[in-house]
Amino acid sequence: MRKTIAFIGLAVILSFGPGLRAQTAADEALFREAKLLVFDKDWRAALDKIGELGDKYPSSPLVGQALFYKGECLNGLGGREREALRAYKDYLKSAEARANLVEEAEGRIIDLSFDLYDGGDAAALREVEARLEHKNMVVRYYAAYKLSLAKDKKTAAKAAPVLVRIVETEKDPELLDRARIALLRVSPESLKDVEDRTPVRIGSPRMLRIRIREGGRKEPVFSLNIPFALADLALSALDEDDKAALRKKGYDIKKIMGDLTRSKGSILKITGDDGSVIEIWID
Amino acid sequence: MTKCAMSETRREDLLAGDPEGRRKAMAEHLDKCPECRAETEAVERLLQETEAVRAEIRAAAASVDWETLPGLIADRARAASRKPERAPSRPWGWLLPLGMKPALAGLIAGLVVGAAAMYFVLRAPGSRPDRDLGFYASGEFLDRAELEMARRNTLDYLEKSQYVLLDVFGSARAGSVTPAALRSGQTRDLLARKKYLNGQLERFQMSKAKAICDQIEMLFRELSEISEEMSAAEFERIRGFVEERQLLLKINLVRKELEREI
Repeated sequence: MRKTIAFIGLAVILSFGPGLRAQTAADEALFREAKLLVFDKDWRAALDKIGELGDKYPSSPLVGQALFYKGECLNGLGGREREALRAYKDYLKSAEARANLVEEAEGRIIDLSFDLYDGGDAAALREVEARLEHKNMVVRYYAAYKLSLAKDKKTAAKAAPVLVRIVETEKDPELLDRARIALLRVSPESLKDVEDRTPVRIGSPRMLRIRIREGGRKEPVFSLNIPFALADLALSALDEDDKAALRKKGYDIKKIMGDLTRSKGSILKITGDDGSVIEIWID
Repeated sequence: MTKCAMSETRREDLLAGDPEGRRKAMAEHLDKCPECRAETEAVERLLQETEAVRAEIRAAAASVDWETLPGLIADRARAASRKPERAPSRPWGWLLPLGMKPALAGLIAGLVVGAAAMYFVLRAPGSRPDRDLGFYASGEFLDRAELEMARRNTLDYLEKSQYVLLDVFGSARAGSVTPAALRSGQTRDLLARKKYLNGQLERFQMSKAKAICDQIEMLFRELSEISEEMSAAEFERIRGFVEERQLLLKINLVRKELEREI
């Protein structure tokens, strides 16, 4: 009897095996084609392929994975942000969701929610705010950065505690600079507090100051006080006319930084041909 | 005391007469009497000087704002009454002996002023326009700073992506199981960074850079998914794909453009 059951079982497996292998190969091929179309930003064709995958192989594990790419297609097509948002959320709920794409899907949800908020749907920003306390640090940081760009200053200020945490703990210079700029936007006083708390080498400057005055005027037309860590970026971001005036006087960013660092805090005063004065100094 | 023979009574009689006769009689007397003439001249001089002083007083009085003056005086009186009464101190008392030597006092005063000026010059190599301590930057400036950051970070992203791709293809040729770039999680880091670039590239309309960065992102996503069980055949497939779309060439072109803008 046992022999008979074993034989029947083997026969069943052998009979399904080639079919299963064939289906696996076919759904994989279809999924690969869809991904290639996504790569080429052929959103509509890619969406059709993903639909075909779901129709032909509804039980394939790749259908769950394809939800992420469905979100990509809907997002890329434009005007279908809410559908895209749903696709990414469905992906996160799917048992087939992969760790590397989960982070990506969270990022897309933040972006799409922010776009909807920008388009007038104030409630959409709740998705971003909710992610300020996400267990994944990357998601948390990105939500804070994105929230700092909100038009409503009170809402944007909610990002400050996470941004402060980035400045306090992060080592990555790119992330640090982003967090500093975001804090300058939403809560400059929080940035000042955290910069003052951060230990620096004795004698190292903490702040860069720039004032630009037009000829004969006492009040500056441009004022800037920022952490010295952003000095290089700040000088690069000066108005093109001011940069041209500096170049004319033989100054480039490297020279300015060199002069400021060497002189240990003295003021650099550059007078333009039109009488305007650019003052740069460090504290 | 005059020695003139005209008595006091005679003078009183003279002054009591009619003005015309009086003036005439006085003039006749002054012609004859030098003492009275000298006295008259002295009185005239005195009257002239008095007139000059009166003119100065009139000018000074005209410059005074008589309406606000009482209030001003009252304020000063109140301020003076608030100050604690102290015995007048003489901090410069030690200089008193020099009062007799003005040249020496001038020299010392010059030295003091010069030393003070030197102190202020040497203490701060350049005078600061202001001393406000808080951070601030305008929204417009922060936008420009973010644009600059977007350029730099995109450039950095493209450079690093190139290294990863070259490492992946180099490893595929050498028959390595998994390239170092994938083992160290570099692709994952790049994927995390790309999130920040997305918004910036769109905001600042850097469409070419956005397109190439999107393709790299997709490629890295694929690589990060299959890296664990990646076979030589799969490497070859991806390499062929990258070559076919000339991804490395496109990365180089966009890099050059961004470098020119920085």
